[in-house]
Amino acid sequence: MKGYGFIRSIALVAALSTATGLAQADTIRVLNWQGYGTDEDWSLEQFEKATGNTVAHEYFNSEQEMLTKLRTNPGTYDVVLVNSAYTQQAAREGLIQPLDLADFPHSDGLQPRLARNSNLLHDGKLFGVAWLWGVTSFAINTGAFDAKPNSIMELWNPAHAGRLGWRDDAVESCQFAALATGQDINDPSDYDLIRERLHALKPQIRTFWNSENEWNQYMASGEFDLATYWSGSAARSKNNFGLPIEFIVPREGAIAWLDGLSLPTDAPHPEAAKQFIDWMIDPEFYVQWDTEVGAPISANEKAVAQLPDGAFNKTLIEELKTVNTLPFMGPMSDATREKMLEVWQETKTFYQE
Amino acid sequence: MAVSDTKRSPTRRRQPSNAKSILGLTGPAYLWLIVTILLPLAAMFYFSFLSDVPLPGRDWQVTLSNYAAFFQEDFYRTLMLRSLRLGFEVALWCFLIGFPCAYVLAKTIKGRWREALFLMVIIPFWSNALIRVFSWTMVLRGNGILESLLDWLIPGFGSLRLMFTYEAVVIGLVHSYLPYMILTCYISLSTIDDDLIDAARSMGASRLTVLRRIILPLSMPGIVAGAVLIFVPVIGSFMEPRILGGREGTFLGTVIEDQFTSVFNWPLGAALSFILLACVLIIFAIFQPILRRAS
Amino acid sequence: MKARPTNMLARIYLGLVLAFLYLPILVMAAMSFNSSQFYMLPIDWTFDWYVKLAHNTRLLESTRNSLLVALATTVIASVLGTAASIAFFRYDFRFKKVLQAALFPPIAIPWLITGTAMLLFFFWSGIGRGLHAMILGHVALALPYVIIVVSARIKGFDPDLEAAARSLGANPWQVIRHVTLPYLAPGFIAGALFAFAVSFDQFVISYFLSVPGVSTLPVEIYTAIKKGFTPEINAISTLVIAFSITLLVIVSRFYRFGGDR
Repeated sequence: MKGYGFIRSIALVAALSTATGLAQADTIRVLNWQGYGTDEDWSLEQFEKATGNTVAHEYFNSEQEMLTKLRTNPGTYDVVLVNSAYTQQAAREGLIQPLDLADFPHSDGLQPRLARNSNLLHDGKLFGVAWLWGVTSFAINTGAFDAKPNSIMELWNPAHAGRLGWRDDAVESCQFAALATGQDINDPSDYDLIRERLHALKPQIRTFWNSENEWNQYMASGEFDLATYWSGSAARSKNNFGLPIEFIVPREGAIAWLDGLSLPTDAPHPEAAKQFIDWMIDPEFYVQWDTEVGAPISANEKAVAQLPDGAFNKTLIEELKTVNTLPFMGPMSDATREKMLEVWQETKTFYQE
Repeated sequence: MAVSDTKRSPTRRRQPSNAKSILGLTGPAYLWLIVTILLPLAAMFYFSFLSDVPLPGRDWQVTLSNYAAFFQEDFYRTLMLRSLRLGFEVALWCFLIGFPCAYVLAKTIKGRWREALFLMVIIPFWSNALIRVFSWTMVLRGNGILESLLDWLIPGFGSLRLMFTYEAVVIGLVHSYLPYMILTCYISLSTIDDDLIDAARSMGASRLTVLRRIILPLSMPGIVAGAVLIFVPVIGSFMEPRILGGREGTFLGTVIEDQFTSVFNWPLGAALSFILLACVLIIFAIFQPILRRAS
Repeated sequence: MKARPTNMLARIYLGLVLAFLYLPILVMAAMSFNSSQFYMLPIDWTFDWYVKLAHNTRLLESTRNSLLVALATTVIASVLGTAASIAFFRYDFRFKKVLQAALFPPIAIPWLITGTAMLLFFFWSGIGRGLHAMILGHVALALPYVIIVVSARIKGFDPDLEAAARSLGANPWQVIRHVTLPYLAPGFIAGALFAFAVSFDQFVISYFLSVPGVSTLPVEIYTAIKKGFTPEINAISTLVIAFSITLLVIVSRFYRFGGDR
């Protein structure tokens, strides 16, 4: 008797949890950074009106976490944002599926060099729709500076000891150090130099930030003089949240990246997912997003052309033409990634001492 | 925390052992524990000897490299020592703050007040630990309540810079685990006969002597039980350092969490977990005699 | 008792400890009424965040999940735990000490380790994650508490009552139903409330066992803290704390924490 009750309760529980899963069947699930375009309420309302589909979100704080979420939750997500530096890895692991640009009417405006960027290809097939690009650099609190700095070495300036915000990310950290030491950001040759640069940050760093919202809160409460940041997020913090910040493109260059939207393998609602990706590359969405909220640079030329003069991103594009190098984040070998993870883990341990 | 002690009621009439009933009554509970505790730990032990997660499409073989990594890379040991130090420090602070508090509750306050105050001390213990840690970010943050208050009391006080430090993690953890220490010390202290203390005092022993020779030794089981109950979860903590520690918030617990949620190196995470577990077991073994008295 | 100076000092000390325990929670609660999204001072009082909360389906759904998991855990853990306690009380058997010792791992092993072990095993074995997995895990954590609390009550039970029932012709199940269980009711209720509290506040296990779209309130709060929080989180936290305190006050009516004096 007892035994049956036990089994029944397990069966009941299993039935209950399946029922909760089914209740959300007509919702597409997007995996992205928080506040990164796909979760703007006004746009989702319009999308629901136009297509009848609702959108739910799941967020990640690093590309590593994004990949692990895909690995451990197969058949869950419909759309995932993949930095093109990771697209090949995700494709190789069988996490995302090949796409055909013909399924996306608005892809006709995409810049050809971005739309068929080699980083988005694996085995000759396209695995991501080019969506946005921008640069990783740093932003300053204008109240803490008399003049805009123009060198990446400002991050190591003792005048800002204990006032630097840094993102806790192995690859990004190593790439900053590679840039500061004039090395290839995707395959640095001298890790001792990188380690030395990262260790030298110890007195500088106030704390790590993990998300855009966190960044805004720390900036607002005056924790940082300067902090590493992404160009699109800086646009948002400045326009949307009215923070007194300025995005800096140092003369040494910045880390450029291209973000694509992909369909996970076994996406439960592939058609709705494709509609949503097309919605995202539509110039109409982009122009409203960039002017009202703030965004990185669209991969869609038509969209960028419609931006008003003096827009953050138009200025940024001009500024980027003046820097020494603009290396794009690209695919890395497993050995490079593991080396970077190890260097960063070791550096973080050094920070504790 | 003892489960019913059979030896204490020798008068109770025993029935002949009834295997069927015993199995029927205890079987479900223990089957449950096997599925949810024993098998997962066994699976994790197995994983800790693999080179990759054994899923279709992944290459893996049996290896010792995950354990070797711990002994080869200096930083794992540094982090382990750091986690152990955190555990000791938090337990020590809980003792320094909690023991006097338990003493006051057990020995100087009587009647209804004691019950009410006691309840007040353990209420936080039952409220969500995560929320309590979160609440410290409200207190400690720059331009937050604490800094505004200090600035108001002492004009020009400036910034405390407590948020995102090792100290912030200690404060948050002491706040989380203090009620454990108060609870266990209180139970020990309340078993000490007041007459014993009065007798010692009347025979000319100073307060300090009474504390040193009578109260502390007799309450030792409670102190040790409290310390162990605090130490064990603290060395495995990851949420508190993540929220309060900032740059100084890297511990073995956060590295283990990373292996599972972000890096997807489950075998390494499993090996580090077992090394941590070994530390816990050693601690238990050392204090086992005192713990047994405590229960 | 007259108030001596040391007594006064003792009370002040106790007051300070209570202040340390409660002030952060009060600050957190106060901030839920602050209109500033970035928690700027001074506080500009508003109820907006509670209104926003009422429309936050994500948080509301995870609250529902938390309650569901906690209720299932309560029912399962208190039934299984009480059954085991009765066996421990009524019978002597060879492996009793071993079984009793086996109750401690769920309490004594850091949750990080139990949680990751469950994640790994449930994922790998096909049991999967989600609400059912959380219930599996929470019951394991709650069982020892239930057995300890129920056993404490059972100690005072007079077995002669059972013998009397048996001599009147009751079979073993009838004895348990009509004699043992009614006596155990207060212990059973206290154990059940403990189980509920353990499950409702559990974060670590749920964190590792949650799947996209299915999480509990503490997991959702942690995600929010990590990925950007607003005073909405303070609002829900305030409500949760209020709920937990109410629950504890109810528990204290069934289970005397301060011992019987």
